Amino acid sequence: MSMSDPMSDRSARIANSVMLFIAGMLVITPTFWMVLSSFKQSFEVTAYPPKLFFTPTLENYVTLSERTPFLHYAFNSMVVTVGSTLLGLILGTPAAFVASWTRITWPAIVTLVARMAPGTLFLLPWYLMFRQVDMIGTYGALILTHGVITMPIVIWVLLPFFDNIPRSIYEAAQVDGCAPARVFWKIALPLVSSGLVVSTILAFVFSWNYFLFSLVLSNSDTKTLIAASFNFIGEGSTNWGGLMAAATMIALPPLVLATIVQRWLISGLTLGAVKG
Amino acid sequence: MASITLKKLSKAYGALTVIPDLSLEIRDTEFVVLVGPSGCGKSTLLRVLAGLEPISGGELYIGNDLVNDVQPSKRDIAMVFQDYALYPHMTVRQNMSFALEMRNVPKAEITEQVDRAAALLDITKFLERRPKALSGGQRQRVAMGRAIVRNPRVFLFDEPLSNLDAKLRAQVRAEIKALSDQLKTTMVFVTHDQVEAMTMADRIVVLKDGVIQQVGTPEEVYNQPVNEFVGGFIGSPAMNIFDARVEGGKLLLTDGTILDAPKSLREGQSVRLGIRPEHFVPDLSGVSVPVKLTEPLGSETLVHFDLAGTEAIASVPPDTPARAHGRLSLRVAMNKAHLFDPETGASLRQKTLEAV
Ligand SMILES: Nc1ncnc2c1ncn2[C@@H]1O[C@H](COP(=O)(O)OP(=O)(O)OP(=O)(O)O)[C@@H](O)[C@H]1O
Ligand SMILES: [Mg+2]
Repeated sequence: MSMSDPMSDRSARIANSVMLFIAGMLVITPTFWMVLSSFKQSFEVTAYPPKLFFTPTLENYVTLSERTPFLHYAFNSMVVTVGSTLLGLILGTPAAFVASWTRITWPAIVTLVARMAPGTLFLLPWYLMFRQVDMIGTYGALILTHGVITMPIVIWVLLPFFDNIPRSIYEAAQVDGCAPARVFWKIALPLVSSGLVVSTILAFVFSWNYFLFSLVLSNSDTKTLIAASFNFIGEGSTNWGGLMAAATMIALPPLVLATIVQRWLISGLTLGAVKG
Repeated sequence: MASITLKKLSKAYGALTVIPDLSLEIRDTEFVVLVGPSGCGKSTLLRVLAGLEPISGGELYIGNDLVNDVQPSKRDIAMVFQDYALYPHMTVRQNMSFALEMRNVPKAEITEQVDRAAALLDITKFLERRPKALSGGQRQRVAMGRAIVRNPRVFLFDEPLSNLDAKLRAQVRAEIKALSDQLKTTMVFVTHDQVEAMTMADRIVVLKDGVIQQVGTPEEVYNQPVNEFVGGFIGSPAMNIFDARVEGGKLLLTDGTILDAPKSLREGQSVRLGIRPEHFVPDLSGVSVPVKLTEPLGSETLVHFDLAGTEAIASVPPDTPARAHGRLSLRVAMNKAHLFDPETGASLRQKTLEAV
């Protein structure tokens, strides 16, 4: 579509490829390393120089499923992540709509600040509060606290989506007989559907990967997968192979999810493309 | 079906006062057309009537109900927005059905109403399309359709025909007029189009800077403009305006052209003289003027010419021998001319008529 000369066109393409390659390597190398290590014997994992060729073993995965209640932890993670993602959507979606409608964004900024604050800030007050109401070790406490992770994501992903809806469309709906709550359900929500997909995925992934609150507020029965994986880091020796096998399993659900919805994810993250 | 009463209504956006103080009574079943230059507050006034903008002061009644604080959804009005505001995620049919669904109208009746409106607006073949797949004019017709499927107390139209081609515009104009007679619903219609204003209105409201200049029937605002602004705004091509002075019982233009002076004027008085294009009459005994340009429109010819340093336009019969760069003799029908006070712009003619 451009008239630029083929030479510079080509060098631009090459530069693009090189940069994509570097970015790709940065992301893929540790993942590759992780997956590879999970199939090695423990002593091989830390060997230097690292071995690319070795006899793969499922030993680490066997350990994972036989010596730890892996499935139970996975179930915990699923409960907490799904619960907190729903919580974030239920609270965050109307909040984003109202913030956009009224143009009052300071509450959204407060949630963002809360999200950016180090999680350790919340630990002590939450520990005390949940102990007071006897909720330490419950799914409820974990779901509620993970709401601090999910809700700001939902709000901040959806805000620009709502802002993009022309105001007169809301106004037409009002004139057509919708009270504000109905404008939200009938008009605004369907128009931000791709934003909902994006915010759900992001909230899910961030909540799934968050370990700090679970370390303190769960008990052995409600521990999430990622918090439990820290058990492999021992006092004296760390079972790297086991840890890598656990990490590989933990990385799987978000990866699968992101792959399934990647089309929406990309169009949603580059909001301009879905406008109009 | 309701009257609309505005009592000392005002509207400001922060420090910007758009409507300072407006009182108006729109009668039940009346078709009122709002006209005025861009930015004078026409859309703002409609939005205030719809309840989309809070009122800064005064009172607004629909029927006998004070609606100052009534939600738009509770006012029972239908509105066509200047930018259409169609629902992008719904088909044309869904767009048009939406308001009826919100009011729990039975399905069969909705289908019937939508089909009727679609046929009227010639959009039946687009009913299953999304607004995105329509042209500007088609979208505008859908926006019209969304309003006319309903039977509200008041219709508000914000330039609903501006994007239609001439033929369709005339057609829809006639349909709206018929609809208004048939539904007997109060209608407030904003337009820039002179023909729309003159042909559809029971009464025209002329606004300038949020202030009503004149309210009257199309004939009244056209034939008896209360001031120079209304005289210049209503009518197309616009009224020609000249500076003039009374000398020796005659009206003298700045270039020395002499015209008959109405008796009511004092010797030495300065006035602004307003002459509509059709009130220049080709007449060999008239004033000879240099023709700059002619625009034959078929039923009439517009002649652009210079008079007293002003570019004026005369509307003459098509067989008039006028050519560009030639000369033409024109007489002024002084009994139809308008006189305005040069200071206040107020019409001097009404006083003249009273004095007679
Ligand atoms: N939301 C707003 N905030 C501040 N000023 C506004 C707002 N909406 C309109 N105005 C101002 O109010 C004035 C009247 O605007 P309005 O849209 O009513 O004009 P209009 O008569 O409909 O013009 P047009 O014929 O161009 O549609 C304008 O000066 C406009 O800039
Ligand atoms: Mg407007």
